[in-house]
Amino acid sequence: MHKHRPAAITSPIISLNKAYVRMIPLGLIVGGAGIGVSFLMSAGNLSRFSYSWLTSFCALLSMSLGCLFFVIVQHLTRAGWSVTVRRIAEIFAMCALPMFVLFLPILLPVLLGSGAVYEWNVPGWSGEAGSPFELLKAKYLVSWFFGIRIVAFFTIWGLMAWFFLGNSLKQDKTGDPQISRKLQRHSTWIMILFAATLVFSSFDLEMSLSPKWFSTMFPVYFFAGAFMSAMALLILTSLLLQRSGRVTDEITVDNYHDMAKFAFAFVFFWGYIAFSQFMLIWYANLPEETFWYSYRINMDLETGSRGWQILSLILLFGHLLIPFLGIMARTVRRSKSYLFFASIWLLVFHWIDHFWIIMPESTPDHVFNFNLLIDLPMAIGMVGIYMALFALIAGDRPLIAKCDPRLGEALNHRNH
Amino acid sequence: MADHNKKKTESAKPVSRLVGLLAQFDDPDSLIHAGTNAREAGYKKMDAYTPFPLHGIDEAIGIRRTVLPFIVLAIGLTACAGGLLMQYYANAGDWSPIFPGYNFLIGGKPLFSLPANIPVGFEVTVLFSAFATFFGMWTLNKLPRLANPLHRISRFRRATNDRFFLLLEADDEKFDASRSRQQLEEWGATAIEECNEDLTDREFPKVLKMAGLILLFLLMIPPVIIFRASAGTSRYPRMHIIPDMDWQHKYKSQVMAPAFDDSEKHTGLFADGRSKRVPLPGTIAIGMLENDTEYHRGFLPPVAAVSKDGALPGEPMAGQFNLQDEKPEGAAAPVAPVAGQDPNAPPEPNWVTEFPESVKVSRELIERGRQRFEIYCSACHGYNGNGDGLINQHAMAMAVNGQAAWTTAKSLHDPTVTIQPVGRIFDTITNGRNTMGPYKSQIPAADRWAIVLYVKALQETGIVPPATAPVAPAEGTPAESAPAKPAE
Repeated sequence: MHKHRPAAITSPIISLNKAYVRMIPLGLIVGGAGIGVSFLMSAGNLSRFSYSWLTSFCALLSMSLGCLFFVIVQHLTRAGWSVTVRRIAEIFAMCALPMFVLFLPILLPVLLGSGAVYEWNVPGWSGEAGSPFELLKAKYLVSWFFGIRIVAFFTIWGLMAWFFLGNSLKQDKTGDPQISRKLQRHSTWIMILFAATLVFSSFDLEMSLSPKWFSTMFPVYFFAGAFMSAMALLILTSLLLQRSGRVTDEITVDNYHDMAKFAFAFVFFWGYIAFSQFMLIWYANLPEETFWYSYRINMDLETGSRGWQILSLILLFGHLLIPFLGIMARTVRRSKSYLFFASIWLLVFHWIDHFWIIMPESTPDHVFNFNLLIDLPMAIGMVGIYMALFALIAGDRPLIAKCDPRLGEALNHRNH
Repeated sequence: MADHNKKKTESAKPVSRLVGLLAQFDDPDSLIHAGTNAREAGYKKMDAYTPFPLHGIDEAIGIRRTVLPFIVLAIGLTACAGGLLMQYYANAGDWSPIFPGYNFLIGGKPLFSLPANIPVGFEVTVLFSAFATFFGMWTLNKLPRLANPLHRISRFRRATNDRFFLLLEADDEKFDASRSRQQLEEWGATAIEECNEDLTDREFPKVLKMAGLILLFLLMIPPVIIFRASAGTSRYPRMHIIPDMDWQHKYKSQVMAPAFDDSEKHTGLFADGRSKRVPLPGTIAIGMLENDTEYHRGFLPPVAAVSKDGALPGEPMAGQFNLQDEKPEGAAAPVAPVAGQDPNAPPEPNWVTEFPESVKVSRELIERGRQRFEIYCSACHGYNGNGDGLINQHAMAMAVNGQAAWTTAKSLHDPTVTIQPVGRIFDTITNGRNTMGPYKSQIPAADRWAIVLYVKALQETGIVPPATAPVAPAEGTPAESAPAKPAE
């Protein structure tokens, strides 16, 4: 029992409305302060600082990649329900390009020959008798080729994101429905290219921290977490925008319901993939694979530390079991206040997930080294910069694809 | 109309029952509108029929959300727990006297380990959730129904095509046939019909009953055939339903690898033709060192002092560490027919005369030894150790007839055996002697020692063996050679 809404924008404000003027400097100040505190607290340990940097960087970059995937898949499936939130995802996807600058502090030392973060940059990493696979990896993991790949990844992501954002913005002005058709047509091969870049970038950014390890499931794991966090980010951003009086009428409860369904699905998909990767390695029990899990799920025999073990359990419960039951119910998915809490929860655990992937590799003996004073300011600072990037790209542009031919479909979308 | 119906009920067997009033609407909006009106007018029992899912109709006619998700959640969680318990019972449970679980240690893996059991738990959860959803939906909708009175109304067919229907049920407190009809007309119904349930001829057809019985009977034939086949014997070779499973294309240890292509070249997995790697030189698998010579070989370590004439070739410790050579040095030497009496026999190893320290002599061990003895040894040596086991009796009968060559099984009460130290008996069981085969691979060392203890106990009971070997004449009865049962 509802009335059919006309496909028109009714919110008084559908852009950041000059808020970006404040958001950009605020984000940069928070960023500078957070990273500065983190740098001071790491007390000259540049390696530890770099790992902390990489953790927050990867957590945020994967959110942008998840948003890019979301945009591509909406065009690919000609989805109507998501039109009202797609622009936000487009802007976050666009953030991936400037994030290249944030990777320079990691990339430049690698190009200069430092092995402080990426072990494979130290000659002889594979030991005396490298297996044929390790010799092959050694040919692939060289600094100049790594640099070329990273530049290529960010360029491709930037072009993709700009293709969707730019055309969508053009449609805002012209209202040409053919643009939607064009985007749909091109989203096909773009999706394939995106998959390839995501797979190889996850190898390069995170998996190569442990260059001797083998897992063909790792990119899927990376992707599952990325898309889950992207949905949490979209929910959170939509809620914050509505709370501050922007796009009040357009993002409906049914939109939130659907985004929460997506987040729920990918909470479980993440768990499914994480377990599949773990169980295959655990069962096959091959030494070239098990070691990666060995120091993550076992007690450290030398120090007796159970840090990684406990963190793994925290991840199991906080990233899978609790949110799985927590956002299962329909009532919960339609409650904005609950979703606010749930999306922050998911984003925090997304960060912990990347910490769990990256930080055990930070020392040769894989000791547990969570340091709140280094990692928390770093995370806050990076989020500040990310917010500044969002504000920079959003600017005064509309936060809704207001002339999308399927806008009416989104506004009248009903869920069960 | 309701009164009219009641009168009929009183007078005779009712022919039909009023189910409700079916109102037809031409578009979804007027149906939702009418549904809203009906709900607001106080009707509770009604239902809508539309050609496609209609958004908003649930709210309009006041359908509460289904409890199905909670049923599915409960059954899914139960199934998950049940799946895990099932695996625990099957893999690690041996507490049940009937149908005990397969509590087998395979490959050193733990009997119950959660990671290995999660996939099954997951699948069971998914399966039972799907069942719960499907059959729960049936149950909640009271399906399957063989007949629905609505289908007797020809107009209703268009509910799957282009018309929208609202049924006000007669059970509703607010229902009054004439007033309800009037209300429906007010709410924009384009046609209204009474829906009646035919109460005549509600018997289940006899033909179908018979057909059901016959079908039930026919269904019993396959299980009977299967039971008969599994109980009886057959002269035909067994069927292989899934030959790929019976003859798998895979590498097995000690077996020539199958040809995987058409070249019919049998190649091993490795260049040397093997499918398994031999242990690296100088390595021993965990638990296979067996350096307790007394316990595993039955003699004291061969030190230089023992071999007076240097008869033990090779390194002194070779017998302990060389896994390629299964037999210890002492046992490897050819043994004379009556060992210990031939002066030309090579020197005996230094047999242990007492049980090794790790063997705890006890009543339980004797009992264990008795069990193992009766399983492995009694077939030839007989239950009393007199050498009159069933195999021996049959083989002797055949030997007399010239049908087989057979050396009599030794009586364990023979003086040449009773004087043997325990280590020597242990060695005989381990490596065999004369025509007796080795039992090392079948009986673990602890059980072999248990058998030695039981043999010693048998000998101590002092049963005097028959003066001559129990050579039965042709067609001799086995009972002839059976002495009195010992007190054991």
